[in-house]
Amino acid sequence: MSADIEQKPYFPERLQVACSQCTLGDLCLPRSLDAAGLEQFEHIVNKSRPIQPGEHIFRAGDKFQSIAAVRAGCFKSYVIDKNGEEQVLGFYLPGEIIGFDAIHEKTHRANVVALDTSSVCGLSFESVTEMARHLPKLQEELFRVMSLHISELEASAADLSAEERIARLLCSLSQRFASRGYSAKEFNLSMSRRDIASNLRLATETISRVLARFQSAGLIKVNRKKVAILDFEKLKELARRDTC
Amino acid sequence: MSNTITFPKELIKKYGLAGPRYTSYPTALQFHEGFDAEAYRRFVQASNDDLIPRPLSLYVHLPFCKELCYYCACNKKVTRNRERAETYLHYLDKEIQLQGKLFDSDRQVIQLHFGGGTPTYYDDIQLRHIVEQLSRNFLLSRSDSREFSIEIDPRTVDKPRIANLADMGFNRVSMGVQDFDPAVQKAVNRVQNEGKTLRLIEDAREHGFNSVSVDLIYGLPLQTPKSFERTIDSVLSVRPDRLSVYNYAHLPHLFRAQRMIDSQQVPIPEVRLQLLDSTIRKLVEAGYVYIGMDHFALPDDELSLAMKNGTLQRNFQGYSTCRETDLVGMGVSAIGKVGNSFVQNQKDIRDWQAVLEQNELPVWRGLGLSGEDRLRREVILAIMCQGFVNFSDFEERFGIDFRTHFALELESLIPLQDDGLVELSEQSFEVTPVGLLLLRVIAMKFDEYLINDQQGKSYSKVI
Repeated sequence: MSADIEQKPYFPERLQVACSQCTLGDLCLPRSLDAAGLEQFEHIVNKSRPIQPGEHIFRAGDKFQSIAAVRAGCFKSYVIDKNGEEQVLGFYLPGEIIGFDAIHEKTHRANVVALDTSSVCGLSFESVTEMARHLPKLQEELFRVMSLHISELEASAADLSAEERIARLLCSLSQRFASRGYSAKEFNLSMSRRDIASNLRLATETISRVLARFQSAGLIKVNRKKVAILDFEKLKELARRDTC
Repeated sequence: MSNTITFPKELIKKYGLAGPRYTSYPTALQFHEGFDAEAYRRFVQASNDDLIPRPLSLYVHLPFCKELCYYCACNKKVTRNRERAETYLHYLDKEIQLQGKLFDSDRQVIQLHFGGGTPTYYDDIQLRHIVEQLSRNFLLSRSDSREFSIEIDPRTVDKPRIANLADMGFNRVSMGVQDFDPAVQKAVNRVQNEGKTLRLIEDAREHGFNSVSVDLIYGLPLQTPKSFERTIDSVLSVRPDRLSVYNYAHLPHLFRAQRMIDSQQVPIPEVRLQLLDSTIRKLVEAGYVYIGMDHFALPDDELSLAMKNGTLQRNFQGYSTCRETDLVGMGVSAIGKVGNSFVQNQKDIRDWQAVLEQNELPVWRGLGLSGEDRLRREVILAIMCQGFVNFSDFEERFGIDFRTHFALELESLIPLQDDGLVELSEQSFEVTPVGLLLLRVIAMKFDEYLINDQQGKSYSKVI
């Protein structure tokens, strides 16, 4: 990504954000706030300009000031390991919150880059914590989201086969897309197979091999980066999860 | 598609207008120089990022020929200067390396084709060197189902060479025969011994080449229906697996070599039709299946089977049974197809070498396909390969209402229906046995660029 784009501020001007009008209202941080709470919350939200694929919103080492809620598009977070290899930590879809990992050290650990044309809502963490003191519902939601992150991480640390890992990712994405009002059965992935491989700690070719195997077993149909899930039950079974 | 062919002479006369062969859609005429190496790299990267990347096909263009065949319209260089051909190999090595780096190393090459020019202009040590260089830079499939083919000029190859080619990993050959008649051979400056050529086909079988394909050309100077029948009988005596019978398009204003041919000696349209008619009749009588366009195959050949179960594909060499691949073209003027793009290399050897000297990809031009291009490509493929277009197949995938989107095109099929080339119904249309020989005419109705520009003078005659 060229430097001049990187240097443009993400939040060029104070854009009025109406969380009450947002289609992600049921998913995002302020989802359990009442009308009065929402109005307060809207004052601390900054809406970003469109962020181009390849553009970073956080860099490892950046001072921690704010968290970001994805409005549109998709982001991946990654670190560079000591061999200089990229290790993908996770993917973020609309309504998901990026940046909680930085609270502890007050510095961002991960690089966060857009995979599609995306946008975010920036939230000063100081303001959020301040507000959470007065709005218990917001505090509850913060804890819930952080807990969700932790449980996801723990689940991914389990000793799973390549099939299980990939089935889980597909289930998780399907469920996340569905709760955002998209089809649970057919979705376009923004990430490359390399990103997925890195995230699941599998070889790149394993991703393709396993997906091809799923495809010939009639579980899914893959066209380029589009996935159609044909047999949910089987996939759930493979993922060893009750919900998909 | 049915395999009984009626020869619609009057219709061929009527529709015998110019038209593209649709080995690609859009055709190379639409390629532009705005599509550069950077654009190509982006399409390759996107193809690597696919969840299940397509396997690869490699095409290697070896343009040199010892002698000029006067009918030739290919990009070739006639030279006896071995040094030039040697220099070419040096740069080809470079290109193979540059291209190999672009593609993820787990992408298998299931199809490889050496075309020309005359690939066998090079000796076996040189050819082996190219295969080894490919193998160092790409993951060549080791499966029996791989299709590794080479075009052979029987004048440059003998039995030991066939054995060497098999040993290098080639399992398919296509041989240029064109015509066995001595007078015709002389008129086109391609004199080759009939007995030797036929023996070579048998040698290829003996050395495990599981497909032997023979190229013939009708419409050459001095050809008569009788003389050409003799050539066909002779070729049929060794029963090649596949036969391509190309139409010679006499376009001396476009192809310098063809100015060596006496236009007076080129068969008149009436005779060309007879040539085609008797060729088709003979091949079908001999049990060959008409695949479409210029191609015939034995009934148990994969092409015939693929045609039967609707999995036929079209590529730059004609028809193919491979599932969809990304095609990497290497060598001067070579065309590639990656994802939804086409790319073509520099067409002049000096330019091609000069770019490689800078360690850059020798991209000349290309095209990124629009959504509309992709839709029309699929429709044209369905016409050319399946002879059947089912509207609902396209509606869901492309989010269109076929009858609305292609209202004008479907209307333009009505006169073709009246002539018995197609049968239209509510939700589909089908090519009739009569229409099989005029596939291009039907496909042209869906070619957006032709619709917008109804000239197309430079295309070869449909028949």
